[in-house]
Amino acid sequence: MQLWIDNQKLETVSERFENINIQKSENFTSIQVEKNQLIQLLKFLKEDLGFKMFIDFFCVDYPLHNPRFQGIYLLFNPDERQRVAVKCWAEGDSLPTITSLWKGAKWAEREAWDMFGVKFEGHENLVRMFLWEGYKYHPLRKDFPLRGIEDTYLPSLNLRPDEKPAHNYSPYHTVLPTMEDLERTQKARIQKKNQIVLNWGPLHPGTHGTIWFLFDMEGEYVKECDIVLGQLHRGVEKIAENLTYTQFIPYTDRMDYISALCSQVAYVNAVEKVLGVEPPEKAKYIRTMMCELQRINSHLLWLGTFALDLGALTIFLYTFREREKIMDIIEGIAGIRLNSTYIRIGGVAKDLPEGALDVITHFINDFPEKLEEYETILTTNRIWLRRNVDLGIINEEDVYSYGLTGVVARSAGVPYDIRMIQPTDAYDRVDFEVPLGRVGDCYDRYLLRMEEMRQSLNIIKQCVEKLKGMEGEKYIATDNPYVLPTLNEVFNSIESMVKDFNLRIYGEQVPEGEVYLSGENPRGELGFYINSKGEGRPYRMRIRSGAFYNLQIFTELIKGRTVADAVVLLGSLDPVVGETDR
Amino acid sequence: MELLGTVVVLTIKSLIFIIGMFLGAAYLTLLERKFAGHVQQRPGPLHVGPHGFLQPIADALKVLTKEDLVPDSVDKVLFYLASLMAFVPAIMILAVVPFGDPFTIFGVEIKPYITDLNVGLLLALAFGSISIYGVIFAGWASNSKYPMIGGLRKAAVLIGYEVALGFALVGPIMMAGSFSLREIVEAQQNMWFIIPNILAFVVVIFCILAETGRTPFDVQEAEAELVGGYVTEYTGMKFGLFPLAEWYIATFVLSAITVILFFGGWNPLPLMGWLPIPAFVWFFIKVFLLFMFFLWVHWTLPRYRVDQITELAWKVMLPLALANIFIVAIWIIIFG
Repeated sequence: MQLWIDNQKLETVSERFENINIQKSENFTSIQVEKNQLIQLLKFLKEDLGFKMFIDFFCVDYPLHNPRFQGIYLLFNPDERQRVAVKCWAEGDSLPTITSLWKGAKWAEREAWDMFGVKFEGHENLVRMFLWEGYKYHPLRKDFPLRGIEDTYLPSLNLRPDEKPAHNYSPYHTVLPTMEDLERTQKARIQKKNQIVLNWGPLHPGTHGTIWFLFDMEGEYVKECDIVLGQLHRGVEKIAENLTYTQFIPYTDRMDYISALCSQVAYVNAVEKVLGVEPPEKAKYIRTMMCELQRINSHLLWLGTFALDLGALTIFLYTFREREKIMDIIEGIAGIRLNSTYIRIGGVAKDLPEGALDVITHFINDFPEKLEEYETILTTNRIWLRRNVDLGIINEEDVYSYGLTGVVARSAGVPYDIRMIQPTDAYDRVDFEVPLGRVGDCYDRYLLRMEEMRQSLNIIKQCVEKLKGMEGEKYIATDNPYVLPTLNEVFNSIESMVKDFNLRIYGEQVPEGEVYLSGENPRGELGFYINSKGEGRPYRMRIRSGAFYNLQIFTELIKGRTVADAVVLLGSLDPVVGETDR
Repeated sequence: MELLGTVVVLTIKSLIFIIGMFLGAAYLTLLERKFAGHVQQRPGPLHVGPHGFLQPIADALKVLTKEDLVPDSVDKVLFYLASLMAFVPAIMILAVVPFGDPFTIFGVEIKPYITDLNVGLLLALAFGSISIYGVIFAGWASNSKYPMIGGLRKAAVLIGYEVALGFALVGPIMMAGSFSLREIVEAQQNMWFIIPNILAFVVVIFCILAETGRTPFDVQEAEAELVGGYVTEYTGMKFGLFPLAEWYIATFVLSAITVILFFGGWNPLPLMGWLPIPAFVWFFIKVFLLFMFFLWVHWTLPRYRVDQITELAWKVMLPLALANIFIVAIWIIIFG
């Protein structure tokens, strides 16, 4: 399914602007523009050509090129369902800010500054996104070593003065943020002194992970809010540049650990696209089924914690009762409960075990009743309505401006669902509906997620029907030169063994090119931009996290509301810190 | 001599009441945990003693032997005082709560209450209010942001509900013509006061939920927003006294007062007076049913926001309580 800008629009652009360079390929279409024309081009794309939705912004480092950094803007046209990428070289290591066009670029630009050291002219608050203030380096630059720069003297504390250190012991380590550094980070974000500043997080039961909120409070009301991310930043994008494509699959699990399978599928699909691998039919249905099981799993966890935040303790245990069943199903199929590295390039890791489909059928027959049970307790509960209705209203304008995706976008009535827009796997062959909200408040998001669980059940049912007739078929396309052979094949044929060795040691030699492909994670669009230079490792991998962009609107929505609303709002936006911080 | 005898008898009786309430509260925690467990489809405490029956004792030992940390920045006097302020008044309400009619065993008349004051109900209300200062002190003395917000929330909730509670209690008092809890029970021998006072009963239920800080009104310790609310800085037994006082003793005692005011106290259930059940057993059956009702609410509902709670207090509960006084007045005029 092609989703890139059509030729007619490209011609309009090239007529209007000089000195642009259009690179068109199957998987990626970009317009390269000079820095002084960037804002005009983006404005033209937004206002005249309808590319009004902001998807992502990131940089790529070319150390030998001058200027060194290239910024890439990804935009989406929601009416005609087209994407376009705009590339621009950062002359003098700086780019003009586009926050006046899209507010969602605010954090993306801060991230680019943090990771690459690219400055943004006119950005209102250009501070570090993930790392702390005072850190000297920019880790995603190519000259930054993977193990960090060991320049801080940290001697061992257990070493006696007369003792000689072990031969490989170095007293120099990579720098860690100290308490003072973190305080500086906090103070850099606070202007006013006359109000209470409530440190909500980083380790707080209401923040669902390690997000650090700073609330400037007047009484119970939050006047200003700031979010400090980075407590769970592991540099996944940097890690990706140093691993082969197959080796990176487990890392996608650890980003959005609640919906690991969806992340794997999104990643593997992008890699398959750039490799040109076509998985067998059965693998496609298994992937779709597992994704939807994971979606129900994720939404159940969301419902439990959301209700827990609002004080309904019992729902939490009820949802975990069902979630446990899904966990058992996933464990039975993939072998691992949470971070199930189950999807492989070209298929899935294992065939469905005997009886798996029976267990799933039993679950889908059993589950609607339980869903009714949750709805009986919550949906028309007056307290639930009082807490949720008309809180955190998001409109269509916000969706486009902030690049909101997933349930958050659909609650505002924007039918942005990657499963519909760009169906991967078997999504184009199953029948499902995308529920849309009317108001865009927290209650809508609650209803949507409940309805999505029903739709997921529906998809699983169809997949199970299909899979029943596919017993014994191939589940991984091992004929393809890029696909790792199965264990059985490795042990029985020398060619497979050689191929396995080659792929494991040198990685999949991906042809040169770029690809952007996304999947519908339970938390929004999870996109993977892969820039390959024809090696076994990606030259640059960018992970467009749905939760990262969804969380950004929190600071706007919370203004003038109470702390009690903050938990509801955060719960309904449903960020997972593993994915926001990467 | 007579005075000395009274003092000795009262002391012994008080000790029995206090120790009984302590043990009772400990086992109320077990009751709650078992109840919550079964609501949530899990067994609850199971391993200490048969069916977890010794769990409260293990918990008490654990809490008592924990290190008692006092942060440097707290106001030491208030910090210590707060946990006592929460606990002592809650248990002092027991002084005026009667558990049955006086009865005679081996020729000795035993009164199952400590004292029968003619202003008993007012005293109970007063102690109930003082108990709440403990929470507010705890929030203030902790010198920390979360406890302070918790304490302020509690204060906001209480101002509303104390007023409504006071007005709601006027109805039964009007009908009985007395503040003495024993006389109120005796006045209900033919008909329980719930009949005309149904609105007051509703108000009292809400007030008890609000004052004892149970869901939907547990804003002062909303764990998702305020970590532990006003008890965030507390450890050990100082911490243990707060839930014990609020969730168990206060809920229990206020349930007892509600039963006395609206459900005929130790009078048997209608048409069941022929059963050979002693009066105080009837009383405890009613109190436990009411207590279980609070648990049921607690483990089912989500939580209100603090401004919604105060809104409910002033816009719904206070008018209801006032309407109840009006209805009862008309009732008394018509039926005598």
